[in-house]
Amino acid sequence: MKKENVGRRPQIPNRKSKIANRQLQIDNHTPLMNSRQAKIESERCLQCFDAPCMTACPTHIDVPKFISMIRTNNVIGAAEVVKVSNALANTCGKICPEEVFCQSVCTRGKQDSPIQIRELHFFATQREVKRGFSATRRFPASDKKIAVIGSGPAGLGCAFELTKLGHQVDVYDAHKPGGVPRKSIPSFRLAGRELESDTKFLSTFFKVKKQVVDSRTFQRIQREHDATFLAVGLGRDRMLGVAGEKLKGVLPVLQFLEKAKIAPSKMKVGKKVVIVGGGNVSLDAAATAKRLGAESVVLIYRRSEKEMRVWKGELAEARRQGVEIRFLINPVSVIGKSKVAGIKCRRTRLSKQKDKTGRLIPVEIKGSDFILDADTVVIAIGQTIEANWLGDLDRKGGGYVKVREDFQTSVPGVFAGGDMIAGEGTIVQSVSQGKYAARAIHEYLSAK
Amino acid sequence: MEYQKLKEIEIYPLRDLSYDFLGIHFENPFILAAAPSTDNLDMVRRAFEMGWAGAILKTTSVEGNRVDLAYPMMSTFDHEGRKLFGMGNIDLISERHIDKVEHDVKALKREFPEKMVAASIMAGRKEDWQSLVERLEKAGADLIECSFSCPQGNIGEDPGKMLAQSLTATELTARWVKEATKKIPVSIKITPHVTDIVEVARAVKRSGCDALTASNSIQALMGIDIRSFSPYPSLGGKSTYSGMTGPAIKPITLRTIAEIARNVDIPILGTGGASTWSDAVEFMAVGAGVVEFCTVVMHYGFRVIDDLKSGMSHYLDEMGFPSPAVLVGKALPNIVMHDDLPRKKMRSHINEKLCIGCDLCYVACRDGGHSAIDQQSSRVPHVEWERCVGCGLCQHVCPVENCVEMHIMA
Repeated sequence: MKKENVGRRPQIPNRKSKIANRQLQIDNHTPLMNSRQAKIESERCLQCFDAPCMTACPTHIDVPKFISMIRTNNVIGAAEVVKVSNALANTCGKICPEEVFCQSVCTRGKQDSPIQIRELHFFATQREVKRGFSATRRFPASDKKIAVIGSGPAGLGCAFELTKLGHQVDVYDAHKPGGVPRKSIPSFRLAGRELESDTKFLSTFFKVKKQVVDSRTFQRIQREHDATFLAVGLGRDRMLGVAGEKLKGVLPVLQFLEKAKIAPSKMKVGKKVVIVGGGNVSLDAAATAKRLGAESVVLIYRRSEKEMRVWKGELAEARRQGVEIRFLINPVSVIGKSKVAGIKCRRTRLSKQKDKTGRLIPVEIKGSDFILDADTVVIAIGQTIEANWLGDLDRKGGGYVKVREDFQTSVPGVFAGGDMIAGEGTIVQSVSQGKYAARAIHEYLSAK
Repeated sequence: MEYQKLKEIEIYPLRDLSYDFLGIHFENPFILAAAPSTDNLDMVRRAFEMGWAGAILKTTSVEGNRVDLAYPMMSTFDHEGRKLFGMGNIDLISERHIDKVEHDVKALKREFPEKMVAASIMAGRKEDWQSLVERLEKAGADLIECSFSCPQGNIGEDPGKMLAQSLTATELTARWVKEATKKIPVSIKITPHVTDIVEVARAVKRSGCDALTASNSIQALMGIDIRSFSPYPSLGGKSTYSGMTGPAIKPITLRTIAEIARNVDIPILGTGGASTWSDAVEFMAVGAGVVEFCTVVMHYGFRVIDDLKSGMSHYLDEMGFPSPAVLVGKALPNIVMHDDLPRKKMRSHINEKLCIGCDLCYVACRDGGHSAIDQQSSRVPHVEWERCVGCGLCQHVCPVENCVEMHIMA
């Protein structure tokens, strides 16, 4: 047994250095538990019956069961329990925001502190990766063919569940499988290896076909399959629509994060970076900018901290890395000649009225304008669906695709899940939607 | 439709854990011991559906036998934060007499023909023992277990004493029972509370009975309330000795099974302190053919069967064993008399890289060993080999796995 867990989280240097890009790779999570730590933690689990953690997990992993298996040193059995419920077991084990799901409702937390469920989950699935995947059983064979468009968490979750039900699945994606976790979640939160171990496992069940989908291929795919599941995600950055947004140095957040993840060596940021927006993706961008060596990173948000829809752990981590977070500020315009020089801002205050998300509406304060110096501005105020070939599928607010309770869109036989139906969510929610949509598709096909 | 409430689709194959023992086919080595969990048809039904290979229905008796229970009957031995390290009960046999149990056996065998359904019995007179056996065999029971070892004593003229504490009574009664059976095997459930367990096992063997169930709970006084001086469980301030079960008694049972298996050629159903799949492996390694569970189920529910099966499957795969049956007796050749132990010069060795500097080995050796460990300013203790005799105490008080090892000296 190694003393592998004594290290603290790495410190990020607040300066531009030649090796700055390497900082993008340094993991900001606590290291993997060792077997003794996992054993001790598992023994703290009360083994609640009908456990709240299990209900809180969107994929409904049988948490008490896998923890009881870690307790008896049946770690491979534990990994199998996790994987029966969650197709992206390693990815979720690495970055699932436990504070909003399983751990937030842990009964043990009412006595002293909640069980570190995610870390136990990750301990078990990583052990299985190290040993080699357990052999799986043969699934029943069906003559139904289902297309899954998009190979992100929802697409993979759906495809695997359909495979288990015996159906033939064709997964289409223009890129390598993985979606958002592969493309835009920063390496320091999710390196390639966890996702790769999941896609490697899944690749033994179905192949992901490289295919750029347009209206014609979408029609053809529908014709050739008994049902279609759409999981194309979002992909297009929302922009502010203010003057100066086209200036050099203004970057939409997805572009910024994708480049930092896929080609970190080509990545450069200025000395003074301003991030516009107060979501989890904005925090990812801020932390990325910091790691790329920006001297100052300021994140501006038009409401207050209370209204921020972020994971508290990530917010604390961004602050720890020296990101300055300023509230009640609205961007008015981006200024500069050929290149960004700053961003004109206006202060806001919160009105008494709430918008439809239940948050107080910010109101601009007249005469409160000021300028923030910046040589890089990242716009991170949300995303919309990029795919322009969806035809006349019914939409709802934000342009997201409208689905019924059974994940079926307005077109019979076409189902959808993941971010494209609800906006940016978590990986585990998407996996869960894919999984349960597969059950709905199965029901739809069985009734046909 | 609530898709989220659908059962998960299993993706891993189930390993075949089945084998034959006592002429009965067991789908896995895990069965339920005669206890509250098997005193109700619906409970056993649920256990079977969840994967238990068999059940021994709670000990029954002839109609008219009075079962005078006293409540509360449970108490626990909680050790350093662990609940139910040991569990005590002052329960008696089932309040449900043979007519009801007979019915349960029939129902269970009809619904679950592939499961092992056994019944446990207790009586006083010869005709009662024999009528119980005959009725249960006729009802379809696969095995009869005879409780000769209820910690509250047996029915009959010697109150407070267990049948299995008398060699002559054991042999005689076992003979009555065996005589009454036509085909099915009989197992005698014995107690470790005897001077020589081997003699008891020989008495059972002589009687012609087929197997032994080793062993029943350990008689114990679960504790005393130090303010009121009422022992546990407290029944209006009074109490009595309990039968203790659970993890705390596992080493006692292991020894009981091993000692019988080393000396008498008789199949053994292991019970008493097994909670996990690895406990089951240990029970089987010292000679148990199947393993009965009770306390862990009373603590966590029938659901523990999932890990029992999964853990056993992975263990067999890892070891390359074809069936649980090969485990039976595997450790027996390694249990020897003290005189026959290898005698090598041993010395303790502390791995400095792993040591966390708690100095627990130091104080244990200073006050309970041979003062062979010295404290150092680095907090990594130093073993003085001149004084170390190799007793191994330091290894066991060390909180770090593999930090202290015992080395054989050249």
